[in-house]
Amino acid sequence: MRANAVSAVIFSNSNDIALKELTENRSMSSLPFGGRYRLIDFALSNLSNAGISDIGIITKENYRSLMDHVGSGLYWDLDRKRGGLRIIPPFITGESQLNGFADISKRAAEFVSRLNSEYVIVCESGTVANFDIGAFIAYHIEKDADITLFYRKAECADKFKNTIKFDIKNGKIVGAVKANRSSESGNYSLGTAIFKKSVFLNFAEFSKSKKSEDAFLTLISENKNNYRIYGFEHKGFAAVIDSRKSFFESNMKLFSEDVRKDLFNKERPVFTKTRDDMPTRYGIFSDVKESLVADGCIIEGTVKNSVLFRGVRVHKGAKVENSILMQGVEVGENAVVRYVVADKNSVITANTPIKGTKHKAFIVKKNQVL
Amino acid sequence: MTNKKCVAMLLAGGQGSRLGVLTGKLAKPAVPYGGKYRIIDFPLSNCINSGIDTVGILTQYKPLELNDYIGSGKPWDLDRSNGGVHILPPYQGQKGGDWYKGTANAIYQNLGFIERYNPKFVIVLSGDHIYKMDYSKMINQHQNSGSACTISVMQVPYDEASRFGIMNTNPDDTIYEFEEKPKEPKSNLASMGIYVFSFDKLKKYLIEDENNKNSSNDFGKDVIPAMLNNGEKLMVYRFTDYWKDVGTVDSLWDANLDLLNPKIHLNLSDPNWKIYSRTSALPPHHITDSAKVENSLITEGCFVSGKIDYSILYENVRIEEGATVEYSLVMPGAVVKKGAVVKYSIIAENVTVEENASVGEEPYYNNADEWGIAVVGEGLTIGKGAKVGAKQMITENVKEGEII
Repeated sequence: MRANAVSAVIFSNSNDIALKELTENRSMSSLPFGGRYRLIDFALSNLSNAGISDIGIITKENYRSLMDHVGSGLYWDLDRKRGGLRIIPPFITGESQLNGFADISKRAAEFVSRLNSEYVIVCESGTVANFDIGAFIAYHIEKDADITLFYRKAECADKFKNTIKFDIKNGKIVGAVKANRSSESGNYSLGTAIFKKSVFLNFAEFSKSKKSEDAFLTLISENKNNYRIYGFEHKGFAAVIDSRKSFFESNMKLFSEDVRKDLFNKERPVFTKTRDDMPTRYGIFSDVKESLVADGCIIEGTVKNSVLFRGVRVHKGAKVENSILMQGVEVGENAVVRYVVADKNSVITANTPIKGTKHKAFIVKKNQVL
Repeated sequence: MTNKKCVAMLLAGGQGSRLGVLTGKLAKPAVPYGGKYRIIDFPLSNCINSGIDTVGILTQYKPLELNDYIGSGKPWDLDRSNGGVHILPPYQGQKGGDWYKGTANAIYQNLGFIERYNPKFVIVLSGDHIYKMDYSKMINQHQNSGSACTISVMQVPYDEASRFGIMNTNPDDTIYEFEEKPKEPKSNLASMGIYVFSFDKLKKYLIEDENNKNSSNDFGKDVIPAMLNNGEKLMVYRFTDYWKDVGTVDSLWDANLDLLNPKIHLNLSDPNWKIYSRTSALPPHHITDSAKVENSLITEGCFVSGKIDYSILYENVRIEEGATVEYSLVMPGAVVKKGAVVKYSIIAENVTVEENASVGEEPYYNNADEWGIAVVGEGLTIGKGAKVGAKQMITENVKEGEII
């Protein structure tokens, strides 16, 4: 296949509303995840690892942090002379704002129609997975499909809020419904699809007339007989971030070495913006168990079952358990932090106890001092 | 090409033979340091932080890994359309070519590179030291004093002065004599191997030096003495912060563990003077339930299930349950398996220490000369239950149960 035969668009605001405390000042795509990443790193790395460099990011609102993070695309090797990464901000046209795939497709269509690609990949940004995009494209071409979608078989233990569930027969998607907090096992969408370019442009046209958030869902249900729509199973780890709970639990799943081996696959690394921090310094009284720790932290207290992003400081006598501390968070002496998600640069002052519960983590907002 | 005020020339061709097996496959400036750095990150980061954006790197010995590491210079913000980082290996011209005969000859062969930028000053650096220094202050002093050459110096204890190149100075800090490793030092101002030259003077003396058949083409031995003999104004620039030569196994180990010493202020992520490095894309490190980590530096990609004290773990290191690492440096990709013990050692890249093996020993205080840091060379395996004693330099695989 020639270079630039496949282009991609990423929707940066998927499910923003589901995590409003954490997406107040940022888009879903720039939500921190896994100690040093932002959600968009997974989509960008997956695409980049498959040699795709013509990528448009469709933004809606609050995209300053996203732009800050992706910059020119350098860290994903996407700062290219030919193609490369482009951010596509909203047009102010007076039209009412569209949501979901309708919005993607409208602006994406303008972006894609100018490119020479034959195929278009569409990614939502709430998915955490290491996709083999190369195999996905090959399958799509082999089946001569119009649309192919990534899905996973999930057990009933998972509950999905907004995810789409597919009905699949002989590899073909013959039906789709909104899972709507379903707890049944089944084939669940991973928010990633590949289209023939002409089909994508038709779909964009089709979406314009649909006011629904789920133009995509409508597309499948209304056109399953007109288009060849296939499913491609992702067998490795995948998480869809669509609620506070799934955000918290998906971070904690990274304690499993098998999950990390799959997600941070050595052949297909996950890239992110670097910060040039020193390695993490463990002090004389540090006591750390079962935790993921990024660079640049200074730990002098106790940390258990927690994810520490870059530059976190845990002072003497502090206790951090079952928590996610984002970049630059400071936990003062003898503070106690349990079931907490502390957003960037927040401070939990000395001797302060902050506790959430297993079912509902307490969220400390960005820059907040408690 | 726009003119540059100052061009840096970084001498990175040294073999670093005193580091033994650690420089078996790479040049000394490419030796890993501090968990995620390499020695060359220090002069390069100092350059960019000092506002010097044009750097020539003179390579010669085992340049592959170093070239790869430098790449376009992006991690140090040195990928520039005008200036930037340039690797300068020895080359062939119409009249033939040669290896770099000495430090001065290496710069001489690349006068053409410097001339493209028509700089007022040239700063000559080496890739063997750990330090954070604002070169712009030194260049300012050089400019204001109207010197031909300024040499940065550190005060060292008199009893160690005979290990260094010593600058003998007048009360106004001008240099009247340079002595290489003097038996009876007259001063304790040791040269740090950092020179600022006015480019016109540098060029003049390099050409003269090249024409002098008796010269060994070395800055310290030939060029500086020639300038002094001709009555040029040479001054010292006094530096008082942290500076360490990492030319030997012991000093490399020391300089690493200095990062754990609360009395030494060597903050490499200080936003005002960051040290940059090329990093791979790795997830945060994982400390498991059975781990015990104290007083150590651990970087991304590591998996730690054992006991770590007073040590530095580089990228992608794996310490299994029941293993112990104390007072050691474990370099990228190394694995220490169950029950193995590593003490007072440097474990090079991609080494495997098999189950229940042991490397290194605690210092023998009554017999200090026999003791030293143990070193295991890149990619080697220390077999199950094998024992490697203090001060050993391991260059081949050690078999199961073997005692060395």
